[in-house]
Amino acid sequence: MKSKIFKLIVVIAVIGIAYAAYMWFMPHRNIQSTKAFATMESTALVNEFLEDKAKANDLYLDSEGESKVLIISGKVASISKDQLGQQVVLLKDDSEKMGVSCTFTLDSNTQVDKIKVGDSVKIKGVIRSGAEYDEDLDLSENVIVEKAAIVE
Amino acid sequence: MKNLFLLLLSIVSLTAFSQDKLSTTSGHIKFFSSTPAEDIEANNYKVTSILKPTEGTLVFSVPMQSFEFEKALMQKHYNSKKFLDTKQFPKSKFKGTITNVSDIDFATDGSYEANVTGTLTIHGVAKEVTEKLNVTVKDGAVTGMTTFDVVLADYGVVFTSGKPSTNISKTVIITAHLNFSK
Repeated sequence: MKSKIFKLIVVIAVIGIAYAAYMWFMPHRNIQSTKAFATMESTALVNEFLEDKAKANDLYLDSEGESKVLIISGKVASISKDQLGQQVVLLKDDSEKMGVSCTFTLDSNTQVDKIKVGDSVKIKGVIRSGAEYDEDLDLSENVIVEKAAIVE
Repeated sequence: MKNLFLLLLSIVSLTAFSQDKLSTTSGHIKFFSSTPAEDIEANNYKVTSILKPTEGTLVFSVPMQSFEFEKALMQKHYNSKKFLDTKQFPKSKFKGTITNVSDIDFATDGSYEANVTGTLTIHGVAKEVTEKLNVTVKDGAVTGMTTFDVVLADYGVVFTSGKPSTNISKTVIITAHLNFSK
């Protein structure tokens, strides 16, 4: 009897430790291997946020930060680098005030060497926040997409 | 006629001057929390900011889900309803003024200490804050650097029990590096 209880305790302890280790070492979500929630034009995505911010936030953002993975197509308006050295491709129509800012990773950075301003491209990444224009603050904010990679 | 021309010229130049605006969409912001249990750091490279040298207006917006943590689980906790609730409050914003903007010569290389006062909104809670911003002008490029403390409870982020209450500091240190361009 005693040895049975002991075995049970050991099993529970092993499961507990394994679970704690799993939680501790849980890897970050792999965006590129996650199925895309939708494929859309950059302008359409921007407009969804400008028309109804609350509705778009609710649709695209996740309460634990695991927000929707999207494939965005659009025209390259600019290419720059952020302070970490990640390439940032802005997809924006000439006629629009705001676009979709796609930040690549240090691993996917080299893909950007193949594209130039004016090209039409498709980019997959995770959405972090929506577009917004604040008249009082004179502040235009693009949709922010990160962990980006080019979709061939 | 000559006066009219001069008047028009001055209006045009005044408009051009008043539109003078520095901005960035790739500002870096970091938060750091230290407790005896562990140190936690998260980085965000997606800060949008505007600085208007003529009026001293300083605005920045932080997409809250762009904070990257070393551990995936920490990142999930941080985003969740119990903490920053980033689905409900996707952005933190600051709107304020550099009160001593006339002391800063944006055309001459140098380092200037700016006094900034304004409203910081985190987690849907707005608070008046006054902080120092170090403004550096070098070869025409303007950089703003600041470090300040945020008491999480001031913004309604409170945890009284469990691991977070021992592992996350009640006061976190925020460091921002705003790389402006015209």
